[in-house]
Formats: sequence, structure tokens, C-alpha cells
Amino acid sequence: MESNLYEDRSKEKVITKRDLDKMAWRSLLLQASFNYERMQACGWLYSLLPGLKKIHKNKNDLSKSMKMHMEFFNTHPFLVTFIMGIVIAMEEAKESIDTIRNIKIATMGPLGGIGDALFWLTLLPIAAGVGASISLEGSIAGPFVFLLIFNIVHFALRFGLMRYGYNTGVSAITKLKENTKLISRAAGILGLLVVGGLIASYINFNLTAVIHAGKATVDVQKDLLDKIMPNILPLGYTLIMYKLLKKGRSPILLIGITVLIGILGHLIGIV
Amino acid sequence: MFLQALLIAIWAGIAGIDLFNGLTHIHRPVVTGLVVGLILGDVTTGIIAGATLELVWMGMVPLAGAQPPNVVIGGVIGTSIAILANQDPNVAIGIAVPFAVAAQAMVTLLFTIMSPVMHKADEYAEKTNLKGIEKINYLAILGLFLFYAVIAFLPVYLGAESAQTIVEALPTWLIEGLGVAGGMMPAIGFAMLLKIMLKKEQVGFLILGFILVTYLKLPILAVALIGVSIAMYDYFNQKNKPNKEEKKEEYADGI
Repeated sequence: MESNLYEDRSKEKVITKRDLDKMAWRSLLLQASFNYERMQACGWLYSLLPGLKKIHKNKNDLSKSMKMHMEFFNTHPFLVTFIMGIVIAMEEAKESIDTIRNIKIATMGPLGGIGDALFWLTLLPIAAGVGASISLEGSIAGPFVFLLIFNIVHFALRFGLMRYGYNTGVSAITKLKENTKLISRAAGILGLLVVGGLIASYINFNLTAVIHAGKATVDVQKDLLDKIMPNILPLGYTLIMYKLLKKGRSPILLIGITVLIGILGHLIGIV
Repeated sequence: MFLQALLIAIWAGIAGIDLFNGLTHIHRPVVTGLVVGLILGDVTTGIIAGATLELVWMGMVPLAGAQPPNVVIGGVIGTSIAILANQDPNVAIGIAVPFAVAAQAMVTLLFTIMSPVMHKADEYAEKTNLKGIEKINYLAILGLFLFYAVIAFLPVYLGAESAQTIVEALPTWLIEGLGVAGGMMPAIGFAMLLKIMLKKEQVGFLILGFILVTYLKLPILAVALIGVSIAMYDYFNQKNKPNKEEKKEEYADGI
């Protein structure tokens, strides 16, 4: 088990406003390498690199930090900079890796829900509605009005939240300076609770099989599995993957197994 | 026609990138209508078709994992057909939607294929290879561009019927099967997290979080706030205990 503390724990202030802006620009590529296994993780790490490089002069620390930021990550692409700000403040204060991970996990889910309500259900319909109604009259101004309304809000939030997140992080850390061990333990509770919730909401795994027995038909998912416990397959599959990882199986092998189950299961009509 | 199809393909590539990255929303039909109109030399029809398509797609938003028909391909092909075939925008929608649905299935494919690449990224992270991480992301952007450009080029250049034949020739069992696998794949990401995070004495909280969403259907924000409450209670509880810092743990930090 690796230590979850950074080797070099000198708390230098190295992050400038320019660094924050640089990372906010990079956050536009958050979903460049989006995939189902880690979702936005690789784009998230890409966005943080300018800050991490400056904070961790020690190569082992940089390696630890980068590895942690390659773990599963998914949040709302417009509000991500708020989490980036908090996380960079924590990295700069050399908080323990476990604490940073747990705070990251605890903030990413809720922001997803808030962002959906804010952007997809509010800003986009308003901006697109105004733009489209101008366009329908055959005016060329429609698209420009739409882009202007949408992006003023978009970029103000993206860059504003980066600074706000960073300042929030810095002031919270100074308040919580005492007992890091207790903080790390409390953050662990929070992180695990959220991961439990994510397992129930992010994994799509249902059986489609229907068993015909004489005149009766049994829908395996609805009539059997959901009666035992809803989301039993997502939970079970996560635990099986966990066991296999614990046994030292490689994640690539697990991807292979999953693809096989998906394709073969779909061919014979189970999933 | 080849040149026009190529220009439309380039626009589709740029819009395809913007759908996931940048998010300036130049990928919306209301903008695409103007651009395709300029390329095909009929701006008014383009703008009106784009706005009509915009209203159709406005209700289809990517809420927490649910995938609507692809708005980029729908917008590009819908406006192109409205101009090229002199169709009413509403008819163009009917022709564009099947392509948009097929394109979204292919996007699923792309997200599944990208999963193994993450393990290369893990290696780069381990070795603090910043250039490597950057390279993966830039190449992925290039991949997105080509992906959308090709999908848009075919129907515009070959005509919708011929393109439809190509779409129908795709092995659906494979694409759908990979889609199923994609839906299961976050389990691997979570398992890797748990391998690091899970401590025996805290397993109960993982179960609790799962139950809150599965049975009580709570949104993640509510789950996180419950987590904050428990964490705060735990923190102050521990803090106010008479200090019995175990010396053993001091050494375990590897200092």
C-alpha cells in the first residue's frame, strides 16, 4: 500500500490567476477522450496539468497526483472548473491524496444535477428559443443572437467558477488546518456514500430475457431480479470486478470480459 | 458537389468536436443551418431549416447518460437535404433522424473503444509523462473530427438513399452489443476506485449510498449532503474525544 501523503509537504503559494485561467481554457477539452470506463478522467487530468506541474516539483508526488486524477471522473462540463479550483487549492496545500480524491468524488455528482437544470433545462432553451424565432423569419441574426446569449453565460461561469472554487478551497483549508487525519476519515465516509449512489445511477445493466413457460411469460428483469432488489446487476457486477481486481487481474482483461458479455449476451438475446 | 460535400464534412467535424468539447454550441442546428446554407448557396432556406430542426432537438438534451439522436448529424444532414432536395424542413427531419440515431449508436462505439486507451494514460500518469497525456487528448479530438466528417460526407455526397443502404448494412448486433458493454463499463471504473478507497469499517457507507438511490430514488446531491452530515458528525465526534492518538499510526504514514 502506497502512502497517501505527498513526500514534499512544503505549502508554497505557486498558483497565480494566470494559471487558473490557463486551466479554465484547457477545461474546454474535458471530454476529448470521453469513454465509458473512466468518463472524463483523462481530459480532467489534461486540464489540471499546468497547475500540478507547478505544485509538485517532486517527481514521485507528481506521479501520485497524476495517477489519482486518472481515476473515474464525471461531472457537468460547464461547472467542472469549480471542482478544479477546489482541487488545485487542496493540491497546493499538500492535503492527503485520499482527502483530495474524496472531495473530488463528493462534488462531481451533485454538480452534474445542478448543471443539467441550469444549462440543458434553462439556458439552452431560452437562448435557442430566442435565436430560432429570429431565424424562422429568415433573418441571419438568429444564430448570432443565440451564440452571444449562450456564451456570455457559459464563459462567465467557466472562468468565474475556477477562481471562486480556488478561493473557496483556500479559505476552507485554512479553517480546517487542524487534524488532517480526522478530515481524511470523514471525507472517506462522504466519498464512499457517493460512490454507492453512483453505482446505482451510472451503470446500465438490465436483462431483456423473457422466459415462456406454457401460457405464462416471465420477464426475468422485472418479475424476478427487480423483485429481489432493483439495481442488483450493477451492484453485483461492480463487486465481481472489484474481486477480480483484488485478485490482481488486469483492468484490460475486465474490459475484454465486459465486451464479450455485451456482444454474446445481446446475440442470444439475454441483455 | 464533391467540394461542397467536403466543406460540409469539415463543418460536421468541427461541430462534432464542439458537441463534447468547447461547448460554444456552434454545433446546434440553428447555427449549422446558416453554415450549410452558405456552403450550398441558399442561406434563407438553410436558416429556416436550421431553426425548425433546432426546435425539434431543443427537448432532446443529454440528461445524465440518456443519449438523444445525434444533434450534429441531424442538423447537418437535415439542413443539407432541405436545400439539396428542395424539401420542406419537416420532411428533412424525417430523413435526418434515422441518420442521427445511427450516428449516436456509432458514438457509443467510440466511447467503448476509447476505454482501453485509459490504461495507456495510466502508464503515462505513473511516469509523469505530461506530453503523453496531452497527446492522447489531442489525438482523441482528431478522431472525433474524422468520425463526424465521414458520417456527414456520405449522405451529402452519395444522396440519402445510397447512404441509407450503408447504414442498414452495418452489423447491428455488434453495435448494439458494444452499447450494452458500454453501459456496464463504469462498473470497472468504480471497482478500481473501490480497490483504493474501500476500508472494512466503512463498507456500510457504500451500501447506504447505494440504498438511498436504489430504493429512495434520491438525487446524487441529496446523497452527497447526507454524506456531509455524517462526515461532520464523525469529525466533531472524533475531535471531542479525549485525545488518544495511537502512536502506531504515526509510523504507518511512512515518514
